[in-house]
Amino acid sequence: MVNETPEVVKINKWDGAAAKNAIDDAIREVFTGELKCKESFALIDGRLFLCALAVGVALYALLWDYLYPFPQSKLVLIICVSSYFILMSILTLYTTFKEKGIFVVAKEKTGNNSRVWEASSYVKKHDDKYSLVLVMRDANGKTREATVNKSFANYIDNNGTVVQSIIINEITKLYNSLSSEKKEK
Amino acid sequence: MLDSLFDDVKRMNKRQFIYQVLSFGMIVSSALMIWKGLMVVTGSESPIVVVLSGSMEPAFHRGDLLFLTNYPDEPVRVGEIVVFKVEGRDIPIVHRVLKLHEKNNGTVKFLTKGDNNSVDDRGLYAQGQLWLTKKDVVGRTRGFLPYVGMVTIYMNEYPKFKFAVLACLAIYVLVHRE
Repeated sequence: MVNETPEVVKINKWDGAAAKNAIDDAIREVFTGELKCKESFALIDGRLFLCALAVGVALYALLWDYLYPFPQSKLVLIICVSSYFILMSILTLYTTFKEKGIFVVAKEKTGNNSRVWEASSYVKKHDDKYSLVLVMRDANGKTREATVNKSFANYIDNNGTVVQSIIINEITKLYNSLSSEKKEK
Repeated sequence: MLDSLFDDVKRMNKRQFIYQVLSFGMIVSSALMIWKGLMVVTGSESPIVVVLSGSMEPAFHRGDLLFLTNYPDEPVRVGEIVVFKVEGRDIPIVHRVLKLHEKNNGTVKFLTKGDNNSVDDRGLYAQGQLWLTKKDVVGRTRGFLPYVGMVTIYMNEYPKFKFAVLACLAIYVLVHRE
């Protein structure tokens, strides 16, 4: 699943979800590559943990019901079913209020300064506008935010390949502006 | 063509791939948990069944979807339509209660018959079995939706078609990112 060599990513440029995913991946690469940040997986691991727990609960209910056919397994089924739906609502809350479309959390260490970058993106249905929100959080707990609202066409060429150089430019520009803003104050 | 089908998967990193598999798992387990939840609520081991034969016409036709409940404190009565299992048969039967004997201690034995059949069900029961008891009952019919179950009947008559549809859906969910 992991590509060692950066190959050219070609997508169906009319497929909004695919285009979004491809640009997201490209931006992640900029953070872990050019900007030399370390990706933090805590956020996505939390979601994976919730999903795995929910699937585990369902499998347990299936196994228990198989071993002890229905009327006997009633109590276990009640517990499993209710905890499954509770887990599902927690997962929904987690993705809408905690993750909020953040696809990369990058940690940066410059000397004794550490900063956290969070990039999230969203695309409205049947829209070509790719909205990128970049949040910078420094060690003092200050946050700064920048938003770019541009069409897919700015990042993807005619053949459907993501133009990495444009992404790099765009991200470095945002990166610098958010960084320098900090120095002014 | 097939290459581009798996492009999405190839480009995923480890965590995205795990999430893809888990979200497929969650689709399946949501369906499973809804079914198990219905079992708990209705008390029946199979809360929804499809009528497979015409033996209950004109009340039920082939393909009707039946909703069952099986609460232990609700007694079985003559004239009710029950779904029951018979030893040695995989498929439960939907028939009406014809005769019923109830003892003071609450145990019941009853005989069933299909509305459209000319004889009672003793010929369908296990060898030597004359009566049904509470433990044979899967549930009592509480409501029905006409003909919706035809889909499942066709699916079961053409298992290859069923597996093809399921496999296509599974592959679609697994290879497409959100």
